[in-house]
Amino acid sequence: MIYLSKLLNQKVWDAFGHLVGRLDDILVSSTEKQMPPITALVLSHAPEGADIIDARNLSSLWPSITLKTDITKVLPYQEKGHELPLKQRVLDQQIVDLEGKRLVRVNDLQIARKGDAFYLTGVDASGNGLLRRLGLEVVGKSVAKALNKDNKTHVIPWEYVASIEHDDPLRLSVSQSKLVQMPPADIASILDDLDQHTSKALLQGFTNEELADTLEESSQEVQQAVLSHLHPERAADVLEEMDPDEAADLLADLDDQTSEQLLSLMEDDDEEEVRSLLAYPEDSSGGIMTTEFAHVPVEYNVEQALSFLRSDADALEDEFMYYIYLLDSQNKLHGAVSLRDLVTAPLDKPLTDWIDEDPAVVNPLTPQNEAAYLVAKYDLMAIPVVDPNTNVMLGIVTVDDALDTVLPTAWKKKLPRFSGK
Amino acid sequence: MSKTKLKFPLWLRKVGLIFTLLGPGLITASADNDAPGIATYSSSGSYYGYSFLWIIVMITIGEVVIQEMAARMGAVTGKGTGDLIRERFGVRTTTFAMLCLLLANLGTTVAQFAGVAAAGELFGISRYITVPLAGLLISLLILRGNYKSVEKALLFLCLSSLAYVLTVFIIKPDWGVILKDALTPTLKMDATYILAVLAVIGTTITPWGIFYLQASVADRGTEMSEYNNTRLDVMFGAGWGNIISAFIIITTAATLFTRGIRVEDAKTAAMALAPLAGEFSSVLFAIGLLGASLLAISVLPLATTYAMCEAFGFERGLNRPVREAPIFYGVFGIITALSILVVLIPGLPLFPIMILSQSLNAMLLPVLLVLVLILANDKGLMGKWKNKLTTNILAVGTTALILVVTLILFAGQIFRFG
Repeated sequence: MIYLSKLLNQKVWDAFGHLVGRLDDILVSSTEKQMPPITALVLSHAPEGADIIDARNLSSLWPSITLKTDITKVLPYQEKGHELPLKQRVLDQQIVDLEGKRLVRVNDLQIARKGDAFYLTGVDASGNGLLRRLGLEVVGKSVAKALNKDNKTHVIPWEYVASIEHDDPLRLSVSQSKLVQMPPADIASILDDLDQHTSKALLQGFTNEELADTLEESSQEVQQAVLSHLHPERAADVLEEMDPDEAADLLADLDDQTSEQLLSLMEDDDEEEVRSLLAYPEDSSGGIMTTEFAHVPVEYNVEQALSFLRSDADALEDEFMYYIYLLDSQNKLHGAVSLRDLVTAPLDKPLTDWIDEDPAVVNPLTPQNEAAYLVAKYDLMAIPVVDPNTNVMLGIVTVDDALDTVLPTAWKKKLPRFSGK
Repeated sequence: MSKTKLKFPLWLRKVGLIFTLLGPGLITASADNDAPGIATYSSSGSYYGYSFLWIIVMITIGEVVIQEMAARMGAVTGKGTGDLIRERFGVRTTTFAMLCLLLANLGTTVAQFAGVAAAGELFGISRYITVPLAGLLISLLILRGNYKSVEKALLFLCLSSLAYVLTVFIIKPDWGVILKDALTPTLKMDATYILAVLAVIGTTITPWGIFYLQASVADRGTEMSEYNNTRLDVMFGAGWGNIISAFIIITTAATLFTRGIRVEDAKTAAMALAPLAGEFSSVLFAIGLLGASLLAISVLPLATTYAMCEAFGFERGLNRPVREAPIFYGVFGIITALSILVVLIPGLPLFPIMILSQSLNAMLLPVLLVLVLILANDKGLMGKWKNKLTTNILAVGTTALILVVTLILFAGQIFRFG
């Protein structure tokens, strides 16, 4: 195994044992590949014309860097502009580890030989990499031995890292396509650790929907930072894609002028939904409910209900559809049926069989804690929110939103700040 | 993600609003007047009178220039100082710089706990009660992430440093003499004096202040088009912090130095406020000292931990469970626990420890300043926002000044003059 840190500043010899220079950097190309090939070496203290030499000159890298030819016949390398200098642009920089789903710092880079050529194979982000850079590998080994622990260096394969430099559009777009395959919650936690310029650049390449999903999982700081960097038109589009309750939460934390502007840019029906949610206190059932839920007319039978659900706009917007709510023509709640029960029931069975005399419901002003308690007590995936006077159904509080305060996902980010909220 | 909003009375919310408007620069500068700061300024005023004022004038210029550099780097790169050092200088230099930062911050954290101990002892409460209690309380608040509400109350307590301004207007010192001394450089060649000079420098321009300011500016995501506001905030902040420092020196010089009283502990330091508060001066002093210490304790260990974890790429953040970020919580715990233990050493003199920790800060500062200067002059990093010539002259001058003073101190120890 060859590590970049062991090669840098090493002497480079020609085939006859003449000193050519010292290794200053290594260039790789085709960084989107699983193992990008090394294309050139950057030398210092080298004779003119040999500051950047073609990697095809290389005979070996380790234990000593030697060339195949005589110093006078060294092939120079002409830079094509897409090469990545490893020391300058990768070593010591931050990079996303797609396996571990976290942001890491590149402590070292691993290089391997295949046939006649050399390739970049992986990123060492481990403590061993740090110790190697300090020339203290022995310490790591003896500590591991003393603790009776396995001291294996964990190298992340190059195909499982995404670089996040915002000034390299080509590589950034490769990274974006890798990143969006991660769960939104993991993207959000990486964004939290990133500096603002980089996270802004990363998000630029996301679709509105990907952005909305990520924002729903992000902390308030990230949400606001991202939104404030988007063009208002686009910000409004992203808000439309978000769950109305999440969008309302986000807007509630913005200043009045900005949130008003964004609301007016949203589609009318989305705007109306979010506005109705904004009217309730943040920690009430109304404040955390979503208005997107599947419902069918109570007088239907199973067959009618299933075909209704396939075409009804509200049903299609319900992302989870744990339950189907049975409503009458005035939108009053009569009962709920789980999707499982509906699918497994005979087609001619009337829905009225599922009418519940005393269903667990909350009203919009029920505190969030109370809703969480009821959800937990009755083992529900969602609890309906109804108007206490008219019994008209307004929305549902899903289990994850209800438990949000009981199980805080993100307490406090970054440094303590005196300013701000 | 605060789901609940606390409702404060209107007047209190207005006070809160003022703090909200205060930028990171002003905050960092107010932190100059933390516990070791108050101790250092009081002591030097009582020992050397107005003759220390010219150092404040000099160091204000230095602080403005250096803090502005840090803020600009944060705004341009969006990254922390630790990040930039690591990315530009590699592992070895980073390790060295981080050891210096750790040592300086450990000393300063010890000094903050010493401030808690001194404040407690003014009320007649043993440090064996106050210090562990304060450490436990603040750590818990930080780890639970709900110290925001407490923070403003602490900032409010810190306003008691305004008492020095009021005192000066009561005692009506001779402004002519003050102005003359503030503009006439004087130097003495003895070790105690030079240590005091270093302490005043080290408590005004701090390594952690640079890291903290850059991180807050970076986190805010300042647009460069609005950078002038940030610059103003930083300059105004440094100026404000140092005006308070000057007033502490003027007060102690006028009330204590003239009567031959030297500040050795909190009790003598509190006497400086007697013209304003009479018999309540030690209560007033203790409140200010306590507020300042607790505020710094809530920031300093955490900021140090963040800087180190960022530079070395360890998992970090209070939103992570301990098993995911063992080093983060480990470093935080060690800094806090070690600082508490040091202060609990029986018979440890609190004021001298506070002051010496700041001298140490100053001696370690040039390491960081050199790195920051290289970074701020890097065209690839800073583009058109790289340092201008005047900034470089002033910043290099400040760095050189600190180095020279430190060298004089060590040379003095070797050749035994003074």
